[in-house]
Amino acid sequence: MHRLLVVLATIVLTSALGFSAAAAPAVAPTRGGTLIVGSGTDATTLDGHLYTDSPTATIMEHMTETLYELSPEGRVQPRLALSHTVSPDGRTWTFRLRPNVRFHDGTTFDAAAAKFNLDRVLNPATRAPWRFLIDRVTEVTAVDSTTLRLVTNAPFAPLLAHLTHSGLAMQSPTAIQRLGADYARQPVGTGPFRFREWVRGDRVVVTRFDDYWGEKALLDEVQFRVIPDDGARLAALEAGSLHVAVRVPPREIERLRAGRDPIVRIDTSLRTIFVAFNVTRPPFSDRRLRQALNYAVNKRAIVQSALAGTARVSDAPIAPNVQGYSPVPVYDWDTDRAASLLREAGYSRERPLRAVFHHPTGRYIRDAEIAASIQGLARRVGIELELRTLEFGAYIALTARPREQNDIQMYMLGWGTVTGDADYGLYALFHSSQWPPVGFNRGFYKNDRVDQLLDRARVTVDQSQRNQMYAEAMRLIAEDAAWLFLHSESQVTGVRAAVQGLIVHPGERVMAHQAWLRR
Amino acid sequence: MWAYVAKRLLLAVPVIFGVAFVVFAMVRVVPGDPAQIIAGETATREFVEAIRKDLGLDRPILQQFASFLAGAARGDFGRSIRSRAPVSEELAARIPNTVQLTIAGLLVAVAVGVSAGVISAVRPYSWLDASVMFVALVGLSMPVFWSGLMLILIFAVRLSWLPAVGTGTLAHLILPAITLGGATAAIIARMTRSSMLEVLRSDYIRTARAKGAPERTVVNRHALRNALIPVITVVGLQMGTLLSGAVLTESVFAWPGIGRLMVEGILTRDYPVVQAAVLLVALAFVFVNLLVDLLYALVDPRIHYG
Repeated sequence: MHRLLVVLATIVLTSALGFSAAAAPAVAPTRGGTLIVGSGTDATTLDGHLYTDSPTATIMEHMTETLYELSPEGRVQPRLALSHTVSPDGRTWTFRLRPNVRFHDGTTFDAAAAKFNLDRVLNPATRAPWRFLIDRVTEVTAVDSTTLRLVTNAPFAPLLAHLTHSGLAMQSPTAIQRLGADYARQPVGTGPFRFREWVRGDRVVVTRFDDYWGEKALLDEVQFRVIPDDGARLAALEAGSLHVAVRVPPREIERLRAGRDPIVRIDTSLRTIFVAFNVTRPPFSDRRLRQALNYAVNKRAIVQSALAGTARVSDAPIAPNVQGYSPVPVYDWDTDRAASLLREAGYSRERPLRAVFHHPTGRYIRDAEIAASIQGLARRVGIELELRTLEFGAYIALTARPREQNDIQMYMLGWGTVTGDADYGLYALFHSSQWPPVGFNRGFYKNDRVDQLLDRARVTVDQSQRNQMYAEAMRLIAEDAAWLFLHSESQVTGVRAAVQGLIVHPGERVMAHQAWLRR
Repeated sequence: MWAYVAKRLLLAVPVIFGVAFVVFAMVRVVPGDPAQIIAGETATREFVEAIRKDLGLDRPILQQFASFLAGAARGDFGRSIRSRAPVSEELAARIPNTVQLTIAGLLVAVAVGVSAGVISAVRPYSWLDASVMFVALVGLSMPVFWSGLMLILIFAVRLSWLPAVGTGTLAHLILPAITLGGATAAIIARMTRSSMLEVLRSDYIRTARAKGAPERTVVNRHALRNALIPVITVVGLQMGTLLSGAVLTESVFAWPGIGRLMVEGILTRDYPVVQAAVLLVALAFVFVNLLVDLLYALVDPRIHYG
């Protein structure tokens, strides 16, 4: 008996040792193979200037490149550009472009091609949704084959960050001119993968581009498959039909962690989830009530229970890896403070504050469950929230109505600061020029000092000065309790253990540029 | 008979026209603006307006309907608002998938459903009947998004016999066909059973038995054939439903069919896609119904259309 135990223990120990040796990443990358990535929706269009959704961005990122890129750590770094200089008045930007780059169809990438692309985005007839990122550019000039010059109508600090956006990708001018509207079904970029096929509603396939200017891809092929159902996508991953599955439901994390394959990875996202108050209408025109709700809601508990700890409690209106972020004092859970603020404002348990709370269902991770938690936590301090949900298309239309017709009291939304720069996050959400129907300040927040700071930060080129301005603006926004601050989401991705070198970018993109499959 | 077919086809015209108008009006009454959805949540008002103009959504609704009809008559349904590809192309990419799944699902449903119904009817109120009908009830009550996932978990994840999701090979078709056919089989089984029970009680069955025909012949030749009329009606209706897309099954198995195209179209307010798809489905329904009526005559020579 004893001997048997010893033998067993030896087997267990040696196999454990063997396993840890195998897990060491000393293996050299292998070339070849097909990586299959499963996501929830199909690409909308494959014209890199015309899409708005992140599943399409994921696909396009493999085929097209931008002048600058946002590293997963949040740094802006050159890609198709090599360097830049800015004139003393901050309005003329001169870029040196990378020489010897070719598009997949053989067309040379040069300043003329870059000009063609930026002009195409700027041309209102193109209807490029990301035009606003560079709409302060008034003039694009190809000085010589590797020098590009942009002139803006005013100094515009976020320009480099905006040029990282994949909606401003460089695509082959020859292909765009030749194919017209059909270009959207056969894109041509400069990236490490080239387009192969798009089977509607099923898959997009890209293959390695062997003449890529940079470090060549290791995989032969990447397939982006559409599997709408979260549960089925996860099952397909477990069955080995997929290598990567995005948006793993948080309640499955625990179970998956018990096994060795697939692996769950949790990566940060630039998306912040919040509840905005309509500050122009009662009851939330009263700042004390907005603060009371902020104190009443235990955000940490929501993140722990509804999101299985995968999100990060917000300590600013933008996520931490956005340039310009700094933590500001927000509201810790304090039901006594909440109760006393409610009393001050004339409410009590006998005469509770009543409000209607709009929220989407199925748009953000566990949005409806989170809304219900907020309702439950608010009830404990004597705030009665009535939940209302709508299908997302109708929801967006409802929240975008101009102030006179907008009777929403509080509503949940998410915002991805996809440029990685605070301007995009704060200006659109808090500047008073951005009230609907113009912009995204759908709670009609207005604070003159905040407006001033956001305007100045936009034209200040010095980043440390900008950071200070954003810090002050965010402090004011938090003091005003313009939002019920919630959390920034994390991306929960299921990955087969054989997949190496995969990047899940905070901009909600899965990148297989240097990924490989361990045999 | 051909006069009858012509008459039925003529009658279909107002039906199709009505469906076209109702769908056309309905997608526009639902709140949510396609221009806003294409432009993205973050778009400016000018941009949304510009897109609305591109799409012709700023024109009076009757004018929009007229140009839709004119296009449809030529087989041109415009371009998808979302993908900007011709709608006819979007539909053409999905139709073969939907037809494949419908046929496979119906084959499963008819094979399982009719046999189960006959078995039940031949031994009514026995434990066999009870258990078959219990299984049918379970099959009917199980939502396909659950039963589909269970099949994936068992046959793809645990046993690795079949691919979990997707299209391509015959193996890909098996699980979705069983899922889809399972629910329909249950309906067919119950229909077959009650219809068979009624027929088996009739005089000519007694006569057949009396003249000494073997039980197998009595059941298969005399009873089943006569019991099939209501079953064909149900199968026809189910076929129409399946052709209009089995959204849930398609979603679970990532099957790119008409149903998902329509639901995605509705969610993104892709008017041209929804209109064309619904019109196509209406056409399929009319056609299948006509086919069913003609099939009656084939099964039962007493019925004929003059």
